[in-house]
Amino acid sequence: MRLRAGISAALASAAILLVGWQAGAQVTESNASAVTTSAAGNTAGTAGGTASGTGSTAKGTTGSSASGSSSGTGAGSSSSTGSSSSSTLGASAKAGGTYAGTAVETRFGTVQVQVTIKAGVITDVTALHLTDQEQRSVQISARAAPLLRSEVLSAQSANVQTIGGATFTSEAYLTSLQAALDAAHF
Amino acid sequence: MKSQLLASPGQRVGTSPGQPPVPARRNPTRGRFAAQHRRRMFRTDMLTVALWASLAAALALWLADGGMSSVGNLTQAVTAVGILAGLAGMDLVFLMLLLAARLPFVDGAVGHDRALEFHRKLGKPALYLLLAHGLLLATGYGMAEGLNPVSEAVALWTLVPDMWLAFVSMALFIAVVVTSLVAVRHRFPYEFWYFVHLLTYLAVAVALPHQFSVGGLFAEGTWQRWYWLLLYIGTGSALAWFRIARPVIATYRHQLTVRRVVPLVPGVFSIEMSGLRLNELSGNGGRFFVWRFLAPGMWWQAHPFSLSAEPQVGKSSRQPTLRITVRNLGAGSARLASLKPGTKVAIEGPYGVFSTAARSREHVVMIGAGIGITPLRALLESTPFAPGQATVLLRCSSTEELFLGDEILELCRKRGATLFHLTGPRSANTQSAWLPASAGTSRLRDFVPDITDADVYICGPSAWPA
Ligand SMILES: Cc1cc2nc3c(=O)[nH]c(=O)nc-3n(C[C@H](O)[C@H](O)[C@H](O)COP(=O)(O)OP(=O)(O)OC[C@H]3O[C@@H](n4cnc5c(N)ncnc54)[C@H](O)[C@@H]3O)c2cc1C
Repeated sequence: MRLRAGISAALASAAILLVGWQAGAQVTESNASAVTTSAAGNTAGTAGGTASGTGSTAKGTTGSSASGSSSGTGAGSSSSTGSSSSSTLGASAKAGGTYAGTAVETRFGTVQVQVTIKAGVITDVTALHLTDQEQRSVQISARAAPLLRSEVLSAQSANVQTIGGATFTSEAYLTSLQAALDAAHF
Repeated sequence: MKSQLLASPGQRVGTSPGQPPVPARRNPTRGRFAAQHRRRMFRTDMLTVALWASLAAALALWLADGGMSSVGNLTQAVTAVGILAGLAGMDLVFLMLLLAARLPFVDGAVGHDRALEFHRKLGKPALYLLLAHGLLLATGYGMAEGLNPVSEAVALWTLVPDMWLAFVSMALFIAVVVTSLVAVRHRFPYEFWYFVHLLTYLAVAVALPHQFSVGGLFAEGTWQRWYWLLLYIGTGSALAWFRIARPVIATYRHQLTVRRVVPLVPGVFSIEMSGLRLNELSGNGGRFFVWRFLAPGMWWQAHPFSLSAEPQVGKSSRQPTLRITVRNLGAGSARLASLKPGTKVAIEGPYGVFSTAARSREHVVMIGAGIGITPLRALLESTPFAPGQATVLLRCSSTEELFLGDEILELCRKRGATLFHLTGPRSANTQSAWLPASAGTSRLRDFVPDITDADVYICGPSAWPA
């Protein structure tokens, strides 16, 4: 009897672990493609920025050195090159532009966002980098980022609620965003 | 003889719960109890499988999340093991709670005492896993951020929402396990241990938020979150139903009140209770209830006592009664001698498989010592056997202590059971210390030649047949 129980228990456990493993492999694959697409998105964004920008510096390693690219509407159009002069209080924000926030380290990877301001209004927030250290955190970030973006757009500040289940991403996201907004003197 | 007595729950405990029959070497294949026995063994095996499967499932939650692919370097490996330890540890906590929840399925398969014995065995592994969870994650996260584990732990506590609750939970778990260690436990009254034990529920509850908000495994919208939530809800409702609702319902339904207290010998007395619908309360012979006598100063103590007589509901007695026989072993049980008639009684139970449910063979041997003799009386009353197929051995140090001896003699006579009295102080020979000195070197087989083909019930002080 004990033997029967032992064997059945071992078989059942092995089967469950195997199914888990198998499911895990699938998740990994789908995540891998998700990573690729988001990476592609990033590259596109950066490329766009570079194309339009007037000598944008390396993506903000510090908040203040936000790359003063143009508003991103068109290819290097007129709107502003002045945003790189961080001393012009408020003016730059009024004029608008795209600002990258600090890269915030979390235990699940780096988070960095970039904010687009037009005529004193936050018109867009894009994620330059999101947590990617565990498979799960890619998914979490991918889910949290759009939510955070829309909350930020409606609140017009970094002063929004963190997303449940995505605490790390949220906090880093908002920190990076705040740095970008500070850089923009928003 | 193989005895299956529990590890001693404590020196001061006078009697240990009744033991289910010791399985003999051969499995029974015939007879009216064989099928019942097979069913019970099947259920026991199912429980073993379910236990291991739940542990595997906890680890599979992480695997299915693509856990393996996230392990690329040492830091990630430490973190991963920390997560797995947390999952396994928490799963053990759920299993422990379910083992203590008095699920009828578990009680019927392995019996209340073996379930609790197993519950106790899981305590330390569960705590070690949870400690490992905390330490490994503080180390792993710390390595990722370039902090030492202590600063990381501080950072976790102060910066991450819900994490302080996890620390509190850990402290509670430590307190619960430490106070449950045998050595510590006997420095305190039972009720102190019990109170600290209740903190487990708090510990489990405050562990929940960080599981769902920190770390991504149980993030919103994942099936893992649902699985885990179901474990929480399922365990919680099982406890609420079987440990609170059912006893309250039974207490209300049967309206037990003390009818009288009958002294047998100094320090030993029977408590007779009357109530409603007592036939439904049949302990099925020798099972026990947890009793709470609702009198000032006593209501907060709950005592396990076996029935010493099947509920009397026949036409002969106009008022149906239940009876337990108590030996005063401590302050709490001594006070029971002064119970006033009319005192209301709250009950939980019946529990245990010291009953016909555990039968597997035609022959039956009942061995009782000390106050453990009294449940045999109820068993003798109810368990089926043909004349000549039962042997009763009563062991005690003096004829004075043959509690209910007359009634047992009468029952044996009526039902055709063989009865032995083994009275006298212990034999010096440790091999047969369970026998009185006068019995010399006789062995169990001398009393019961066919013992290997019989169900054996043993009930006595926990130190006794060991
Ligand atoms: C399944 C079972 C059946 C029993 N049947 C009988 C019986 O038929 N007749 C009889 O005289 N005795 C029986 N006992 C023993 C009886 O329950 C204890 O002797 C009694 O509870 C002692 O309580 P106390 O307050 O006087 O002693 P205390 O000094 O308070 O405690 C003595 C010891 O009993 C333990 N204890 C106290 N309350 C409980 C509880 N609710 N659950 C578990 N352990 C507890 C304590 O840990 C302590 O070690 C049975 C015990 C069990 C477990």
